[in-house]
Amino acid sequence: MAAEQQIGRSAPGKEAPRHVTGRGRFVDDLTLPRMLYAGVLRSPYGHARIGRVDAAKARALSGVRAVVTPEEIQRRLRPFKPGRYAAGLKVAVPEYAGAVGKVRYVGEPVAAVAAETRAMAEDALELIEVDYDALRAVVTIEAAADPGAPVLYDELGGNIAWRGHVAYGDVEAAFTSADRIVRDTLKIHRYSSTPLEPFACLAEWTLGKLTVWCNAQSPDVICDALSEALGLDQVRVIVPDVGGGFGQKIHLIRKYVVLTALLAVDTGRPVKWIEDRSEHMMAGGHSCEQEFDVEAAVRADGEVLGLTIRDTDDVGGSVSTLTIHFTNKLNNLFNVYKVQHLRLEGRSVVTNKCPVVPNRGIGKPGMCFVWERMMDRVAQELGLDPIQVRRRNLIEAGAFPYTAPNGNIYGSGEYEALLDKALAKVEYDTVRRQQQAERSSVARTLSGSRGEPDKARPTGTLLTGIGVVIGLEPGGRNAARDMAIFPESKQMPGAGGVEGATVKIERNGSVVFTLGSVSCGQSHETTAAQIIADVLGVGIDRVSMTGGFDSALSPWGVSSSNSGNNFHLYDVGAVHGAASRLRDKLLTLAAHVLQADRNTLAVDDGVVYDSTNSITFAELGRIAYSNQALLPPGFEPGLQATWYHSHPHADPLMLPDRQGRVRAQYTFSSAVHAAVVEVDVDTGRVRVLRYVIVSDNGTLINPSVVAGQIYGSAAHGISVALGEGFVYGDDGQLLTLTLLDYGKSTTLETPRIEIEHHPVPDPFTTLGQKAAGEGAAIPSPAAIAAAVEDALSPLGVKVRELPLSPERVWRLINGLTV
Amino acid sequence: MTHTMQLTVNGESCRAVVEPRTLLVHLLRDQLGLTGTHVGCVVGECGACSVLVDGALVKSCLMLAVQADGCTVTTIEGLSTSASTPGLPGTPGTPGTLGTPAILHPVQEAFIRRFALQCGFCTPGFVMAAAALLARNPNPTEVEIRQQLASNLCMCTGYVQIVEAVQEAATRLREWQQSSR
Repeated sequence: MAAEQQIGRSAPGKEAPRHVTGRGRFVDDLTLPRMLYAGVLRSPYGHARIGRVDAAKARALSGVRAVVTPEEIQRRLRPFKPGRYAAGLKVAVPEYAGAVGKVRYVGEPVAAVAAETRAMAEDALELIEVDYDALRAVVTIEAAADPGAPVLYDELGGNIAWRGHVAYGDVEAAFTSADRIVRDTLKIHRYSSTPLEPFACLAEWTLGKLTVWCNAQSPDVICDALSEALGLDQVRVIVPDVGGGFGQKIHLIRKYVVLTALLAVDTGRPVKWIEDRSEHMMAGGHSCEQEFDVEAAVRADGEVLGLTIRDTDDVGGSVSTLTIHFTNKLNNLFNVYKVQHLRLEGRSVVTNKCPVVPNRGIGKPGMCFVWERMMDRVAQELGLDPIQVRRRNLIEAGAFPYTAPNGNIYGSGEYEALLDKALAKVEYDTVRRQQQAERSSVARTLSGSRGEPDKARPTGTLLTGIGVVIGLEPGGRNAARDMAIFPESKQMPGAGGVEGATVKIERNGSVVFTLGSVSCGQSHETTAAQIIADVLGVGIDRVSMTGGFDSALSPWGVSSSNSGNNFHLYDVGAVHGAASRLRDKLLTLAAHVLQADRNTLAVDDGVVYDSTNSITFAELGRIAYSNQALLPPGFEPGLQATWYHSHPHADPLMLPDRQGRVRAQYTFSSAVHAAVVEVDVDTGRVRVLRYVIVSDNGTLINPSVVAGQIYGSAAHGISVALGEGFVYGDDGQLLTLTLLDYGKSTTLETPRIEIEHHPVPDPFTTLGQKAAGEGAAIPSPAAIAAAVEDALSPLGVKVRELPLSPERVWRLINGLTV
Repeated sequence: MTHTMQLTVNGESCRAVVEPRTLLVHLLRDQLGLTGTHVGCVVGECGACSVLVDGALVKSCLMLAVQADGCTVTTIEGLSTSASTPGLPGTPGTPGTLGTPAILHPVQEAFIRRFALQCGFCTPGFVMAAAALLARNPNPTEVEIRQQLASNLCMCTGYVQIVEAVQEAATRLREWQQSSR
């Protein structure tokens, strides 16, 4: 019986059975003999100098085995080296795993304890006495940039920690020749994908060798951190099941891995540390608050000639992620538009808030928000239809492969077709007609009420709005990207990408594989198994993954990181490469054993055959591992292949040229999002009536897995737009310490998202695939903003800022300061 | 100070010694080794620790272990073999070899078939909540499913495939109940 073709099929998730039965294995599920539990003492202040620290009482508490204080952190650890996230940092600013001298955000780790139980560790934290000399907290961009503001880092001489720019084309000429300049100021707030499993780490120190189990997304970050801070190179990093990542588990987790490792070294016993929810909200990392002053040079017909953006990024209380939200804008800098002239100026300010980290899209949701808000603004100012303005500027289907002015090469795309399908699916014309009817019926009740919130108005006035936006989803990171803004960097962060995979036919004919990458729930095992099943010619039930990431066993490289939408490019390439080489080997062995012509052999369902003979994988497996007499001369025994993959089309512009052009990423998915919302004029509450996505993610290996990524990323972007977010008080206290206060959407607020796939294969990737991960989190905030603004257009409301919480919307409706 | 308590977990009688401050979720995970019940927030917001106590859906981070003294508790590990659990229709199942469940609860099967999970961390809680919902209401509307499952948070899926899975599980459960009459 022929094995079913797997690529393109929604093969059931191989990860699913263990999770639905509670047999997943997360870090907190692991225990080791004589294991201790760690707790972390955190700063109660947003900004303070650390004075005397007395841990004597904590050390004396029964069950406490080790305490690490700021003095020890400074004496025994080394600061982390500034990595690629800090590209552009020109002054040395030492950052340790814990606070040294000063605390710069509420929740910053100050001390750590290891004890026999978690409860004992937490009891001990309360006994550590820390004298703080509180300083005025700097909480807003405006306050940070004030010359009289308290300075977070004396080394920097101020709170503006970085300035820079990129420019492509002839921006000045574009603005000179424009019919009109359209201006606006836009803002994106702080949020997080808040993975449900918080940070987790288990460290064991054995005779000079450290083994760490942690839920980090980027093993290279952990290995580098342990090497830089502790001087340890004999390190093994194991990543079992990870309860969601979204970028949150890339960066700041390194501090806690180092502290946990230090406690394990000090006690000679395994130490487990599990972050709690409020710790994660305070100190696990936030996305970046961004402000944009934007000017668009446009012609009267809606063509956008050029764009200038002044971007201010509030990076919080650390310089270790100084420019990631700026450099990630290079990935979708021109979005889907053929505009040729653009200048992006950036400045990063430090504030007494949680440091920023990568979060599903990093900077790209902001860049898409700028483009799509400005497209609507251009349409409004020119009196044109917003859909027509987009059509006027889209890169045409015949223009691919398309090289954007900043060097990105879009392999394929059909943006206008996506738009047409989305408009049809959402029934755009019908919605507009209904809207007109609705408006004429409520026009009387609304007239004259703006700015007079107390004026009696019939309750229950609902206004419908529709927003249609289009966005890119870049995939496959180029490690050299950040050199575009920091060519003088002494240490090259890498270039292109490298990722490996191993595929093996066992002695019994079953197939096992090992990926170099970490999975945080993106069905890597399922997708990889589908590719292997098809390439080798074996049933997918016979294919399984060996386990999670293990730095000692996994073939890994810089692209193993579960970030940058890397899997689709690097892992798919590596798995396909390894399986293809293994098939080659299998056929060589089979031809020899069967005494057949290799070129006449076929493989199906685990059997190699020609017209007269056949042999099973199991029979070949027994020969390959046991019977040297039957192996072809010179044949490497065993049936295993490892392949490290780099993108074969990484050039041109893998390295930045003198104009600062660089391939930031290598594939470009795209999608149109159409949101229909209903705004309650009395309460400001927004309800999403329909949310339609037409998406091009290239060749679909598993359509349901891709759909899952789109659903999840859209749901997060919608929740971001509608109210979730971090809120700080003027004193630097975080007011949103729980998921409830933070405002994460539940099943009730999240709409039933509708997806239509429109795959346009990429000409440069292994199977024509493109990315699906960060995806719908990039355009969805802009889609909701457009829809809410459209609903409130009879009131003259402009949406410039997120989140659109009921309070903000109500204030917009009533003409009050937001 | 400690308390000695007795409870039935997934059909087995257990004796445990706990501090008064020990939460039920920590008893289940740390003392009984039932790590399928997860801790996502420990303040009752996320539902990852959902279990059944005497047939009622409970967030086990909001219950002290001692409050479960004398109770019958079903965790995700016991769901597939919990036909005898009060209030649960569950597909009759027998333990498979090496402790793996031989027959999955229809909700578990539907979660697999409908891609209703990604990272899997919230999944045990959602499965328990969905099973409890279908025990109370075998034929819920989409709105009812969304209202009932608002007790639980998932950061990965956007809920679409979870709702679809619960709908499918409801259909299968009804078919099974009709055919077994």
